[in-house]
Amino acid sequence: MYVIVAGGGKVGFYLAKELVEHGHEVLVVESDARRAAEIEAQLGSIVMCGPADEARVLRDAGAERADLVCAVTGDDEDNLVICQVAKARFHASRVIARINNPKNAEIFHKLGIDDTVSATDVVLSVIEQELPRQHLIPLLRLRHTDVEVVEAIVEEGSTIAGRRLRDVALPKPCTIAVILRDDAVIFPEPDTPILIGDALIAFTTSENEGPLRKALLGE
Amino acid sequence: MFVIIMGCGRVGARVASAMSRGGHEVLILDVNASAFDRLDADFGGTTVVGNGIDMDVLRRIGIERADAFLACTQGDNRNIMASQIAQHIFNVSKVVTRIYDPLRQDTFKALGLEAISSTVIAADRFIEVLDPDLVQEGLAVDRA
Amino acid sequence: MFNPKKILVPVNGGPQDATVVALASQLAKRSKGQVYAIYVIEVRRTLPLDADLPSERQEADVVLDGVEHAAEEWDQEVETEILQARDVGTAIVEEAVEANVDLILLGISYRRKFGEFDLGRTVPYVLKNAPCEVWVCREQIGDRSGR
Repeated sequence: MYVIVAGGGKVGFYLAKELVEHGHEVLVVESDARRAAEIEAQLGSIVMCGPADEARVLRDAGAERADLVCAVTGDDEDNLVICQVAKARFHASRVIARINNPKNAEIFHKLGIDDTVSATDVVLSVIEQELPRQHLIPLLRLRHTDVEVVEAIVEEGSTIAGRRLRDVALPKPCTIAVILRDDAVIFPEPDTPILIGDALIAFTTSENEGPLRKALLGE
Repeated sequence: MFVIIMGCGRVGARVASAMSRGGHEVLILDVNASAFDRLDADFGGTTVVGNGIDMDVLRRIGIERADAFLACTQGDNRNIMASQIAQHIFNVSKVVTRIYDPLRQDTFKALGLEAISSTVIAADRFIEVLDPDLVQEGLAVDRA
Repeated sequence: MFNPKKILVPVNGGPQDATVVALASQLAKRSKGQVYAIYVIEVRRTLPLDADLPSERQEADVVLDGVEHAAEEWDQEVETEILQARDVGTAIVEEAVEANVDLILLGISYRRKFGEFDLGRTVPYVLKNAPCEVWVCREQIGDRSGR
């Protein structure tokens, strides 16, 4: 596969390096002469020095026979133009654009650039996975003990919604002491059903906090 | 009409001042507040510091009700992107883009932008003054 | 005394080709070594590296035939090769490493660019990157033969 990598920053450099290691023909187009020389020193003669957003440069780079053009400069507008020129003028088979502002994905899509990659989005998605969306809210820690009081809100789709308290397998030691339902305070019995929107106030050891979260809120 | 102008350089400031004097509602956008010093002292329009290729910014300044959008920053790609957002996302009916690079102007004209290359216009004018025959014979055409 | 066993002679059809081939032949003869002449075709990025380039290869064949004739005068055999590469300098250095040569003999013409002597990019690249010894033979300034 012949891949043109427009932009020789860190992303472009490592992308090119990986592609070469996978046996692809690669050309990095970098406008800064010093940076271009640096890349050439490390990756060999797979570098062209020039602005990739200029049609003349893309033509000389062989955009017409490229299987893929990756625009990975640091500026979204440059990446957009590189991809559009590669597609419209040179009929590059496939283009991929790096974007910084995740909201630009929609714009790029509307302008015919379907493949966008946003580092911002990737990091965000990792953060969202890391943060339990439904989490236990720590209320207080009992003085001089390992016991915590936490609150869990039963959201729609929860596995325990609609079940009786006795049917919920809780880790031991652990107690659900109070249920706050709308304005009511309920001291639950084993037969008390758990409903969506309930706030469960539980006593737990800090060791059991994880298992409790799993039991009440799922993963 | 309500005109949004992105880029308050010499050209942008000149157009903004003229449009404002002509009775239009003008909003001019630039990333650099000191750029607004170029406007007429009695400029009657609105100045906003912000980035014209950010949809949120464009929405905030009311691009949805704009009748016209002019992109004339120093950066061709910036102008191209902002203009395409105005045209394709917000459906502004009149969109004009300044593009320095004549080759890029061709490409984006083909993609439906009203693109004006100040390079081509200025060069043509110079040639016309130096040797009017060249222009008539069509020899001044760029063959890059 | 430097006795190179394998001498790489990159040729390009330039005025110094005959000189470097003659020099290489004599050196090789004395050290019972080999002469390895290469002609590098620089392939534009618009074409794949292994593109079929008949007219360029024909030209290369003519130049390498000339090399063989020049070496024959010294009764020295020459191994020849046509290479296709993106960049002449890199190709020369890579080939020198690959073929494990002891010496690269480069012939250059006297070129001016904007009134200044211009070495181009290939020679500096080879001088900087080749692991073996490198000799550069520049043609004389002005041409006595009136070429």
